[in-house]
Amino acid sequence: MIQLSDAILSLVLLSVLLSLSSNRLMGLVRIMAFQGILVSLVPLFLDQHQGIGAGSILFLQIMILIKGILIPGFMYIAVNKVKMRTEVEPFVGYHASLFTGLAFIVISAYITERLNISLPGGHALLLITAITTMASGLFLLMARRKAITQVIGYLMMENGIYLVGAALAKESHTQYVVEFGVLLDLLVGVMIMGIVLHNINSAFDDVDTALLGRLKD
Amino acid sequence: MLELVFLIPLFAGIMATFLPVKLGRVILVITALLHVQLTGMCWLKISAPMFDDYFRATPEGTLVLLVTSFIFLFISIYSVSYMRETEMENEHVFIGCMLFFLAAMSMVTMADHLIVLWIAIEATTLVSAPLIFVHRSKEALEATWKYVLICSVGIALALLGSFFITLSMDIGQVDVPLAFSALQAVAANLDPVWLKAGFVFVVIGYGTKMGLAPMHTWLPDAHSESPSPASALLSGALLNCAFLGVYKTHTLLYAAGLGTYSSNVLIVFGLVSMSVAAVFIMNQTDYKRMLAYSSIENMGIIAFGIAIGGLGTYGAMLHLIHHSLIKSSLFLSSGNILLGYGTKLISKTGNMAKLLPKTFLAFFAGFAGISGFPPFGIFISELLIIIGAFRSGRFVSIGIFIFCLILIFAGAARLVMRMSFAQHDEDILVQEKMLRILPSYALLLTSAILCVWLPESLYQTIINAITAIGGGLNG
Repeated sequence: MIQLSDAILSLVLLSVLLSLSSNRLMGLVRIMAFQGILVSLVPLFLDQHQGIGAGSILFLQIMILIKGILIPGFMYIAVNKVKMRTEVEPFVGYHASLFTGLAFIVISAYITERLNISLPGGHALLLITAITTMASGLFLLMARRKAITQVIGYLMMENGIYLVGAALAKESHTQYVVEFGVLLDLLVGVMIMGIVLHNINSAFDDVDTALLGRLKD
Repeated sequence: MLELVFLIPLFAGIMATFLPVKLGRVILVITALLHVQLTGMCWLKISAPMFDDYFRATPEGTLVLLVTSFIFLFISIYSVSYMRETEMENEHVFIGCMLFFLAAMSMVTMADHLIVLWIAIEATTLVSAPLIFVHRSKEALEATWKYVLICSVGIALALLGSFFITLSMDIGQVDVPLAFSALQAVAANLDPVWLKAGFVFVVIGYGTKMGLAPMHTWLPDAHSESPSPASALLSGALLNCAFLGVYKTHTLLYAAGLGTYSSNVLIVFGLVSMSVAAVFIMNQTDYKRMLAYSSIENMGIIAFGIAIGGLGTYGAMLHLIHHSLIKSSLFLSSGNILLGYGTKLISKTGNMAKLLPKTFLAFFAGFAGISGFPPFGIFISELLIIIGAFRSGRFVSIGIFIFCLILIFAGAARLVMRMSFAQHDEDILVQEKMLRILPSYALLLTSAILCVWLPESLYQTIINAITAIGGGLNG
């Protein structure tokens, strides 16, 4: 079981690095779907979750549905409507982004080492993955110009925060109603961002955030 | 059943979204009236929560709920008249989202569970976004984009902070439900390091929503681009709800014996917000942005007052009430000015005293109120905060505080004078109507009345809310 969870976490790390070096928006959406499913699977393979009840199975399915299918689905529709295929001229280049991603992994390994807290089943990799995902999400938000990539960065950050929650919080705190609420917020958030994106695209003929500079003091 | 306070606006919102607009307007006002009634029941403690793991009527929550419900009633009356004047494309969406917004804010005030509070605050962001881009201009779209993205990212950090607080429970071997009221009792056993880390993230997260500088960048854009009733709600009700998140976490730290630490964090954020507002209000060209920066200033004052403790905390709670009343009144008046002149630029307005006399009275009185002149309540609340700060010996902070107040008054006074008395030759586009004036007057009048006479139950609720962090009249 331990090996399997480590394999999933490595795949999450891989998806983070892939997203940092990808310039195709469609590719990014696919990576997000993949990452969403992986992140939903993580709690299933953690040691502290011995008893798998009906509630957790149901919740797992809902989570895969929302993170792996619905949210990427909305993003897919948005990318299609916008007719924008690639990210042009990012603020930080792809090679530099990839290098930053690798640096994030090293830094999170260092942080995890220093924190010295008892992780469930000694899963140091879980916290490393979580911090890397969160930091890379924030990085994507700032380093890319297209509004769609920024939404993807936000989603990645949320995935990272979810992993932090999975790593740090005990099973006893998990209440499916509450977690479902968080997921629902995320889903509605992406829908609203999609609608605003669509409107931005029809008003400006582009989704470049550099165009959004009319309001300032 | 306490949950009705947010379930009823939720259902009304769904109904209003699908029914014809005329019926929607009626539903809006009726729901507002019903909500005041439900708030009254909550205030008199007749309704008990059904899901008491997640919801609870705390004194500070009830206080914010009362303020929200009260101003929503007047804003809803105003919106009906405002929507008739402006040709809104998606009016039923606007009405629906106003009601969803009320529901989300009421849920924030009643939330006791850490993550439920987070869900509710994030929900307020999502349902208020359509209110901002209802006009679909390029500026409105930009403002909405910034609002949704900055607030969502900020609030995501608050979720991280909540996880850290959970971790501090695990390390401290505390086994209680993840709710503020339960944690309060066992706060001393929580791990202090992770509690502090959690507090910083929560302040950054909810502080973004509350408009504390330097995370305030979405606020002037969103407040200036949204239709005036929505601006009034954002400023008068939403900011208080985000403040509630910060306040509850501060209470937790105080109970854990880390009050000095969290107070210092809040004082720094408060003073930075006031300074930023003072700088940006000086050469403002847009009167709605001017009001928005004034909201940032006032949120800074509240954060500062809460952190001071003792008398300052009492002042901060009073300030919260009066700021909501006066600021929402000012935003409603600014809606009339926008209809009258057709522009948000201060340089294209003028001679309001002659052209829009009734609006002028409300706007000018509101300006006097927000600047801290009697007979409005901010006079008392700011005075109490300053006295409280002197008592606790924070002389440098209070110096900066007073300096910022003077700068903001000087900066805003010049602009308000320009709007009120400068030469203006063009005609007024839309004349004022009583239905759009009376709500502003009513809100101002309430502030003036509360300044001289505070009902006993209101006083008692404020005291109950602040004793948890050592606040009180004699502190």
